[in-house]
Amino acid sequence: MSTKEIPKLIDDKGIRIDGRKKDELRPISMEVGVLARADGSAYIEWGDNKVLAAVYGPRQLHPKFMQDPTKAILHFIYNMAPFSVDERKRPGPDRRSVEIGKVCAEALSNVVLLEKYPNTVIDVFVEILQADAGTRCVGLTAASLALADAGIPMKDLVAACAAGKIDGEIVLDLKKEEDNYGECDLPLAILPRKKEVVLLQMDGSLTKEEFQEAFDLALKGCLEIYEKQKQALLKSMEVSEDS
Amino acid sequence: MSRIYASHKQLVCPGQVLAIDLPGNTNCYREGREIIAAVKGQVRVQGKSLKLVPLAGPYIPKVGDVVIGVVIDLFNGRWLLDINSPYYCTMMGEEVSKNPLHEDLKSYFDIGDILSMRIAKVNEVNEPIGVKPWKLEGGCIINVNPRRVPRIVGKKKSMLNLLKEKTGSKIVVGQNGRIWVKGGRMEITIDAIKTIERFAPTSGLTDRIAKLLDAHLRGEK
Repeated sequence: MSTKEIPKLIDDKGIRIDGRKKDELRPISMEVGVLARADGSAYIEWGDNKVLAAVYGPRQLHPKFMQDPTKAILHFIYNMAPFSVDERKRPGPDRRSVEIGKVCAEALSNVVLLEKYPNTVIDVFVEILQADAGTRCVGLTAASLALADAGIPMKDLVAACAAGKIDGEIVLDLKKEEDNYGECDLPLAILPRKKEVVLLQMDGSLTKEEFQEAFDLALKGCLEIYEKQKQALLKSMEVSEDS
Repeated sequence: MSRIYASHKQLVCPGQVLAIDLPGNTNCYREGREIIAAVKGQVRVQGKSLKLVPLAGPYIPKVGDVVIGVVIDLFNGRWLLDINSPYYCTMMGEEVSKNPLHEDLKSYFDIGDILSMRIAKVNEVNEPIGVKPWKLEGGCIINVNPRRVPRIVGKKKSMLNLLKEKTGSKIVVGQNGRIWVKGGRMEITIDAIKTIERFAPTSGLTDRIAKLLDAHLRGEK
């Protein structure tokens, strides 16, 4: 058995390796409108994750044959910086980032009122500057803030958060070690007002009861994230007197 | 029974419920009985009606708007202009000549020229057609957020007249967020316009700008 090599992720008192409780999020700070040249932007630090999102557009889509005269097209580019992980990541798109870009674009396409801007494209770029598990949730949260900052009409903000299973227990918001040595990871993105699910993935296995528990926990995390998103957005809208 | 949840001048995020049982509104969407904000903006409540003023967003061409465009391409008998929008503006050669197909359009407007014009038509995919071009020569162009242009013009052009009067500059305001300024005390005009853009969501702006202009003019004498 190789169980001895795996570190103990959760102690007898239910405290995790970074001192959090089972249903506790990592510390989060959000900032909106960080890039001067982008139409909308946001920066999120979520534990050791550092993610920058930028929105350009709506703008003309080229090549022209890809245009859709009934609605705009949303492109989501997820990119990890080579220095974002322990071992240098080979730069450029790979299978994983293309896939994350696709699922996130589908999640956001359900929220943005694309039919208002026919024949155009909305480009969303998410740059992972530092990764520590759960980057697709951070990326999606940042992207929805950046879209709101750009003034693009949308039904609701998108709040995302992950839950998972480590050492046989369901916990909220996995960190890198927990993700690597844990049993399951369940990222979830919702529209907080009606609690509609726009992204749900599962890596690992859970029983039906465990899944329900993890889903409820992730939902609670998403609502917590949503409050922080609203605060960050309202803060960016206020006009300060000092120049 | 209609009811308004948002208060006057409240800042709202997309997805916030503003009211129930009110007629539809731009920048909002309906879901059942609820009116929900679709963009970040400021709510204006007037009696029983409600308006959401967006704080950001792209310029979408509208019939009757005056816009400032840059010529980016020439075709047979027409020009293509960039109007700081997701959509390019077309202008027909007939605006300046009787038989544009047999004339060199470059002699009227060449690539890179800056024109002010009026939007005469917008089709169902938002592509506009401009008329009555006026070439803008000299001076400079200031780019501002198109959603804040109404504040720069002011009610019944009050703010614009104030700016023109105090600084003596020629100003052409494009609804697309481009403002052309020439002559007079240009640096003061530009500073004032930037200030208006920044403080657009606040009230009492005309008085504030009047004070700012006076201070500038006195300080330099």
